[in-house]
Amino acid sequence: MTAIRIAIARMRALVRRDAITDEIREELNFHVEMRADEYAQNGLDPHAARQAALRRFGNVAVIQDRGYDIRGGGVIETMVQDAKYGVRQLAQRPSFSIVAILTLALGIGVSTALFSVIDAALLRPLPYPHPEELVTIDVKETSKSGESGQYAPSMADIRRWRALTTIIAHAGMGRVSGFMPLIVETGTAQRLTVAEASEDFLETYGIMPILGRGIQPDDTREGAPAAALLGHAFWQREFGGDRDVLGRSIRIQNKPATIVGVLPAGFYNDTAVWQAKQFSGAFLEMRGSGTPVIARLRPGVTLAQARSALDTVTPAGRVIGPAQAPARVVMESMYDDETSQFGATIRTLSIAVTFILLIACVNVAALTLARGATRDVEMAIRTAIGAGRGRLIRQLLTESVLLAAAGALVGVLLAYGSLDSLVAVIPLSLPPNSPVTLNATVLGLSLALTAVTALIFGLVPALKLSRAPSTISSMLAVGGRSGAPLSRRAGQWLIAIEVTLALVLMAGSGLILRSFAKLVSVDLGFDTANVLTLEVEPLDQAPAARREYYTSLADALRRLPEVAAAGAIDRLALDGGATYWFPEADTGAHFEGPQRTVLPGYFEAMGVRPLAGRLPEDADRLTGEAVVVNATASEKYFGGNALGHIVRIDFKPPRQFRIVGVVPNLRHGGPQSRVEPEMYILPNPNPGDTSPVTLAMVMRLRDRASLSIDRLKQAAAAVSPRVLVGRIRPAAALLSHQVAEPRHRMLLLTLLGAFGLLLTLVGIFSMTAYAVARRTREIGVRVAFGARPAQVVGVVVRDSAWPVAFGLIAGLGGTYYTTRVIKSFLFQVEPHDPTTLVAVVAVLGCAACVAAWLPARRAATIDPVTALRAD
Amino acid sequence: MTATNSDQLHGTLDMLVLKVLDNRPLHGYAIAARLERMSNDVLSVEEGSLYPALYRMEQRGWLASSWAVTDTGRRARFYKLTKTGRAQLKSETASWVRLTTAVADVLNG
Repeated sequence: MTAIRIAIARMRALVRRDAITDEIREELNFHVEMRADEYAQNGLDPHAARQAALRRFGNVAVIQDRGYDIRGGGVIETMVQDAKYGVRQLAQRPSFSIVAILTLALGIGVSTALFSVIDAALLRPLPYPHPEELVTIDVKETSKSGESGQYAPSMADIRRWRALTTIIAHAGMGRVSGFMPLIVETGTAQRLTVAEASEDFLETYGIMPILGRGIQPDDTREGAPAAALLGHAFWQREFGGDRDVLGRSIRIQNKPATIVGVLPAGFYNDTAVWQAKQFSGAFLEMRGSGTPVIARLRPGVTLAQARSALDTVTPAGRVIGPAQAPARVVMESMYDDETSQFGATIRTLSIAVTFILLIACVNVAALTLARGATRDVEMAIRTAIGAGRGRLIRQLLTESVLLAAAGALVGVLLAYGSLDSLVAVIPLSLPPNSPVTLNATVLGLSLALTAVTALIFGLVPALKLSRAPSTISSMLAVGGRSGAPLSRRAGQWLIAIEVTLALVLMAGSGLILRSFAKLVSVDLGFDTANVLTLEVEPLDQAPAARREYYTSLADALRRLPEVAAAGAIDRLALDGGATYWFPEADTGAHFEGPQRTVLPGYFEAMGVRPLAGRLPEDADRLTGEAVVVNATASEKYFGGNALGHIVRIDFKPPRQFRIVGVVPNLRHGGPQSRVEPEMYILPNPNPGDTSPVTLAMVMRLRDRASLSIDRLKQAAAAVSPRVLVGRIRPAAALLSHQVAEPRHRMLLLTLLGAFGLLLTLVGIFSMTAYAVARRTREIGVRVAFGARPAQVVGVVVRDSAWPVAFGLIAGLGGTYYTTRVIKSFLFQVEPHDPTTLVAVVAVLGCAACVAAWLPARRAATIDPVTALRAD
Repeated sequence: MTATNSDQLHGTLDMLVLKVLDNRPLHGYAIAARLERMSNDVLSVEEGSLYPALYRMEQRGWLASSWAVTDTGRRARFYKLTKTGRAQLKSETASWVRLTTAVADVLNG
């Protein structure tokens, strides 16, 4: 035994070549030499004297090593040494290391990727300088009758406020989204997002044109020459980044505008053109235009200060009649506003990610412990050669840090590789201007995460393992099996914790899955299979000509051999929006639902059959009198018998309609939309009618027929060459786009749930395998006394099954608190939906038992003779 | 050997080392030689175990060390008492006296 000790100590001494080792060696050597000298003076020959001195001194190598441990060595040297040793240890057990590293990589990778999304969404929602100074402003008016309303301020308000130069740095009015894309002609015509803004709007954001000038007050005068600034992406795409675009003319909605500037890249990339908003004298003082107003406060000015300062110069208004009280300024921080909308999603993802990470930690702790079962001897030897407990803990922690670092490296690479696909499925509408990247903040965070992870999963095993028997003889005497670095109870706790976390995670995934299944099985009332939609419009803005165009195009499409039915509608189903004219029925009832303009053939194309009466026919186009209503309207306003009733809409002049049919409820707004009483009307055939008409064509193809985009474009152009052909999309694509966000959420959470399950199973597997290894002798005894293999396996599985059951119950309790977070995402499913919870418990419970049973089988194969004789 | 005994031994050894160094700085061999004269028991097992004790006390700040040349012209590491070490010696001596007095009282009945 002593020989082993000395050999090991020598080896270690050889490895440790640094200043402190040398110093200690010199000091000890001095002592031995002095003693040898003394013996030599007493008459011993030099060799014998040295031997005697060494005997008296004790084991030099061991003492040197202990001394080194006490003096702590050079911190760096120790760390390097520990790291080298750790790498060797990890390399010796590649399967353990790979599983542990992959587990950590998964945990760290998932969290890093999601942190970058959260970082983009929450921490950098406004990619402008000093976003905290930006505010949105509304004005609240209260009328004499006590009504009050909140309105967008007028341009005159803004100019008055801007005069308060100590409070307001910049203020402007502008609208960047939320309208119909306009037709922009730069040679060819396209529908593009065109924004409009007053002077100082871009300056408020801190945006300066890279070419030309911004919008000046002069540009906003009524009748001023139309000024336009180009978005960077549009400038690159359409003009090849030509710096000579200034002064050139483009047409917006058939009106010319002069290019006066180009905006920098990254500022609202999707917006092609910024136009100066123009205000006539009357509009200057008009509030409630709906165009948002933003301002930048002077640094250090609080919302409250700004509000009260602005109040003093804000006149009472009369949007809703004569004012009762002075107008009040309503001011919100843009930052708070931008971030609040992400709340529920971010919370959900953060919880899920935390759980994954915790499970990963517990898992690696379990793996480390399980591996530790075979390391008692090593620990005992190290203790015997003088390593203190602190030294052992440091070594074990170093190994954990190495694992975590490797895991972090793989994880960050994973995150980097998967970021784009993650951003594609993340159920957040991220701010348009903040790209999701792995930046320094995110990397720093995952670094911190790694450190914490290493501590969490490294500390428990380190404390346990370092408590191994202190003498190698006792260790070796019992054959390296007596040391129980992890008690049975502690292992069971780890399993219970994992199962608890996994259950909560999977319950969330399960609820979202079930809710998605309900969502996609909703009966929309129409059939999207084989349906194509075509957005097209004539450049000619005259209403009569446009109506004529659509009618002719529908006829032309019907003549195509591939087309079974063709019609048109004003707003495509599943693409949002509807128009409300509040018609009045002959029964005196007022319609509250939307009216949709269709061309005959629309219902046939959507696969809809009438419930009563008939569908609109081509002959009805002449009078435009026939309309159909949906079942809800028929029930609500006509007692279920709508046929023949007359309905009026207050157009100028009014139109009168006769209900000729009732159709089923069509959920045009998608599966989550409310069913409202709807009415379907035909375009006004009166040539003098000036209401604008833009329709989208809808056609049903014959079975197995397909129609190329080119043929559709040809057909559209054959009717009239001056047309703008927009998107051509299958209705099924519209539907899947409609449920894209729920689907992405479902995918993401299902993935996270699956990760959690996988990690937990790996954990249970390794803990059970560890238990089997630890109990080899006990099991050997049982077998020797006649226990059957099934009984032995049962004993082992039972030991893991109890904590699983405990974890399931604790997890159910946990879901009570956590599933509330996702309540707003659930569709027709309660947060405590029993079916889902039972299913999740069953899946997790069964999988956990299988994970425990697989290694437990090994217990049955233990040969009692070998087990009892083991060392 | 239980922890208490081991601690006691450590404590005793520490106190003796501090006492030896009370007058002047010494190198390890000289300390061992003085201890040997004072008591045969404490270090009879392994002389070398003096060194871990010295390092421990140095880590605790009781001792300071530096390399110097001995009378015989060899390089050796000399240990001397720090202020803390002196205070420690005082308090250990006091408690040792208390303990031995108490034990003596008991033994003398």
